[in-house]
Amino acid sequence: MKPDSTWRDFLTPFVLLTGPGTLFIGVTLLVPLLTVVMFSFWRTESYELYADWNFDNYRVLFGEAAYRTFLIRSVVSAAVTSLICLVLAWPVAYYIARHGGRYRLLLVLLLAAPFFTGVILRIAALQGILGPGGLINMSLGLAGFAPIKLLMYTQFAATIGHIYLYIPFMVTAIYLSLVNFDFALLDTAKINGAGPFRAFIEVTWPLNWIGTSIGTVLVFIPCLASTITPRFLGGPNATSFGMSLSQQFGETGTWALGSAMSVVMFIFSFLVIAVLKFTIDLRRSGFTGAGR
Amino acid sequence: MAGLLNLLYVFLYAPILYVVFVSFSEDIVWPFPLSLTSQAYADLFSNSLYADALANSLILGVGSGIISTAIATAGVIGILRYPSKRRTLIIVIFLSPLFVAELLIGISSLAFNSRILGLPGNMFSAIAANAVEGIAFSFLIILSQLVRYDWQMDEAAMVFGARPARCFWEVTLPTIWPSLLGAFLISFILAFNNLEISFYNLGAIPTLPSVAWGSLRFGLGPELFALAALTNGFVFLIFAVMYVLMRTGLVKFGYRGK
Repeated sequence: MKPDSTWRDFLTPFVLLTGPGTLFIGVTLLVPLLTVVMFSFWRTESYELYADWNFDNYRVLFGEAAYRTFLIRSVVSAAVTSLICLVLAWPVAYYIARHGGRYRLLLVLLLAAPFFTGVILRIAALQGILGPGGLINMSLGLAGFAPIKLLMYTQFAATIGHIYLYIPFMVTAIYLSLVNFDFALLDTAKINGAGPFRAFIEVTWPLNWIGTSIGTVLVFIPCLASTITPRFLGGPNATSFGMSLSQQFGETGTWALGSAMSVVMFIFSFLVIAVLKFTIDLRRSGFTGAGR
Repeated sequence: MAGLLNLLYVFLYAPILYVVFVSFSEDIVWPFPLSLTSQAYADLFSNSLYADALANSLILGVGSGIISTAIATAGVIGILRYPSKRRTLIIVIFLSPLFVAELLIGISSLAFNSRILGLPGNMFSAIAANAVEGIAFSFLIILSQLVRYDWQMDEAAMVFGARPARCFWEVTLPTIWPSLLGAFLISFILAFNNLEISFYNLGAIPTLPSVAWGSLRFGLGPELFALAALTNGFVFLIFAVMYVLMRTGLVKFGYRGK
């Protein structure tokens, strides 16, 4: 029996190849997220969820000063970290793409290799280096200097931790963009009289902006949701939105409030993506190969 | 710029070296003056908890890595080779997991699995939830490498009568395998070491990150430092082999220059 001809028209190679991924992401990402949105309008009582629709969770979230503080702290911390990573990652990625030669892949893999050591161990090691009894401050103490207070359980230490964890994402994203960038364009700009700075601002930067903005999002979003780093490096005054959120699903068991917090966090991630999307001009993206 | 690159490597590897260093010392809190011991390694191999956790992490990593690479490869070939009006939509869908924090992926699948489906923590949910993230990273890596791939070679093979599957194995795959390997490795590492997605999906099943998380209450066990040191030793062995292969030009890993 032959399949219906409308089915045949629908099952093009494009649909057969991209369908499984779309379906998978739909079932394992979109549906659970929608569940959380639904729960955010429910009510929890002694660890049970009840489906009486209301806005109480959001009222609590925006009414209580503590949650506002956590949210602002996390957003600011994520923005600062993204900016620092951006400034540090560009020259590094540029150097690997331009001068890495045959070792390019290895140089990039060296950036990814720290991921083989779990986040907790790396943060514990950072704590062992930065903390009060850590390498830096104990050495200073032995040499007769005062310890650097800034490194001990502060927001600053947490930011170092965030940069440590997420800068490889930024470098890799920019590198992947630069690998597909035609450096001959730069020579053209220079032949036509542009200095190195102007050539960078008008050619290299805009043509690699998509990669750069993907890198920014890849740093911003995990920072916004960060729980482990502020807990270990940040001290008592660095409680983040993510820490508070995961508590709602753990110790306190207030799932509905936690769901509302998840929705708020998602909205903030989405806002950043929307702003970056707004700055992308596809005609100047350099991704013309994909849009052909 | 080379200086900044080296500084970044120093910054990234200082804590790793610290982990290796601590794994050999008697006192993990203040490992000076140095007194070397391999006690942590002996404890590591005599405790079955770590073997179980390692096995579970490996299953998670390999499972998620295979699913991610396969789905992402199909997706990339789909959008690059077969022009369609829905191409942008597909790119957005495949990359969308990048824009959802791991914490949210973990918590939302916990909410869905436990409260809607009534499922307890299990390995399949954890592999699936980790693969979602893996797909996005794999898709990004493979897409950026395949944008410049010349599909005329495949068309030539098809003209000479190769079926799509054979064409993929004999023409496409030999050229694109380094990016597939890269995608597999990245999604493997992400799932292998993932705490936040796995923790909420696995319940009581131990993985290396969850054991580390659990032992934090009593202070990190030196065994975990030993295990991390061994993992890093293994990774750097592979890198050394890659370096030799690149140096001699035996395998180019996709590099097209001299």
